[in-house]
Amino acid sequence: MAETRVLAPRNLVELQVALAQATLATRLLAGGTDLVLQLHSGFEPDLLIDVSRVHGLSGVSERDGVVHIGALTTFAQLAAHPAITERATCLARASAQVGSVQVRNVATIAGNVANASPCGDAIPALTALGTQVHTIDGAGRVDVRPLAAVLARAGHTHLVVGEAITGFSFQGHDALTHSAFAKVGARTAVTVSKLSMAVVVRVEVGTIVDARVALGSLAPSAFRDAGLEAVLIGRPLSATTVAEFAAASVELVRRVIPERSSMDYKQYAIRGVAYDVWNALNIGPPYEPVGLG
Amino acid sequence: MNLHLTVNGIAHEVAIDPTERLLDVLRDRLGLTGTKEGCAEGECGACTVIVDGLALNSCLMLAAQAEGRSVTTIEGLSAGGGLDELQSEFIERGAVQCGFCTPGMLMSATALLRTHPEPTSTDVRAALAGNLCRCTGYSAILDAVTSVAVRAAEQPGG
Repeated sequence: MAETRVLAPRNLVELQVALAQATLATRLLAGGTDLVLQLHSGFEPDLLIDVSRVHGLSGVSERDGVVHIGALTTFAQLAAHPAITERATCLARASAQVGSVQVRNVATIAGNVANASPCGDAIPALTALGTQVHTIDGAGRVDVRPLAAVLARAGHTHLVVGEAITGFSFQGHDALTHSAFAKVGARTAVTVSKLSMAVVVRVEVGTIVDARVALGSLAPSAFRDAGLEAVLIGRPLSATTVAEFAAASVELVRRVIPERSSMDYKQYAIRGVAYDVWNALNIGPPYEPVGLG
Repeated sequence: MNLHLTVNGIAHEVAIDPTERLLDVLRDRLGLTGTKEGCAEGECGACTVIVDGLALNSCLMLAAQAEGRSVTTIEGLSAGGGLDELQSEFIERGAVQCGFCTPGMLMSATALLRTHPEPTSTDVRAALAGNLCRCTGYSAILDAVTSVAVRAAEQPGG
């Protein structure tokens, strides 16, 4: 097989030129924490487009309340950026829990989405934030569409050949909006999620008036659940609300993965995750689950 | 393709395969075998090096991505060829047993101390969470890093 060809575009024009040459066997290299493993185990793309140096695709900005994140922004940057910690708290928390320091220093948010792992930690957070994905293709066409329209199934997206993610945008939190992320894995730190949850709520005078709840590591792609959201909307910040939210989360796991061997574990684990998320929202006193689910 | 990078302060031009990892270039082409290959999938941290100030797993980075960058490996910690303070403290505290994880531990700890000269114990644990050690039980390693930080803080002007 011919040696892999490498292009390393430095700006959006050069990126378009490179994308125009892409085939099904082409791969884009950003941080590389997933792709380098595939390359080392023998995968040989025809063309490797090293996008990691494309100017202008890294960093976080905010305008009129909308947060924009460049595709190449790393998890270390996201975990520490004030616009993310304050206006997209769930994403900051998810970013801080991706892999190790070494991974967070290089792994990018676009890589997390493009790899479409069911357990990618950024994906439920971005889903709960109502994120739009910005892309460009080899003809210079730009597109903006909801994250759910990009995710297909485990390891697959609806991005077409020669289409690259350039960034993400969503409405940042205002003073009444709060969000949180929690996950559970085999270890406390540096662990792949077995379950994760991101919640965004809007609270007015002690009542939740709007809620978005996204689950990760439960289905082939992260997803929002209107049923869980309905449990929260219109409810007070009380022990009863969180207990009902946790109970509904347990029911959701039983419904989504009834036949999976991990169901028995996850139906209990989700309860702890639900309480962890609620307490991390920091909108009232912390509550603890009572008894087993 | 030809790669241009600086390793431990020395500029290199190396002929590489486009899909070669930074780890392979360091060990096999530049002979810097202090950087270890453990799991080869970014879990164990034995291959940790510092690139432009950031600790990363050299098994998860293509060498081509290091074009124009400055890499520090375990061999570059002490310019004089001896041991730096952190290395000496590891030995003093019994933080080295089989030694396989030690280069990666030292690089992660060095990257931390360069950006956080006075880390909390939580900072130290978080910085080393991506480095696995099967021998020491970690306590001696954490003690070594913390004591170097405390000593630096106590020095006049430090």
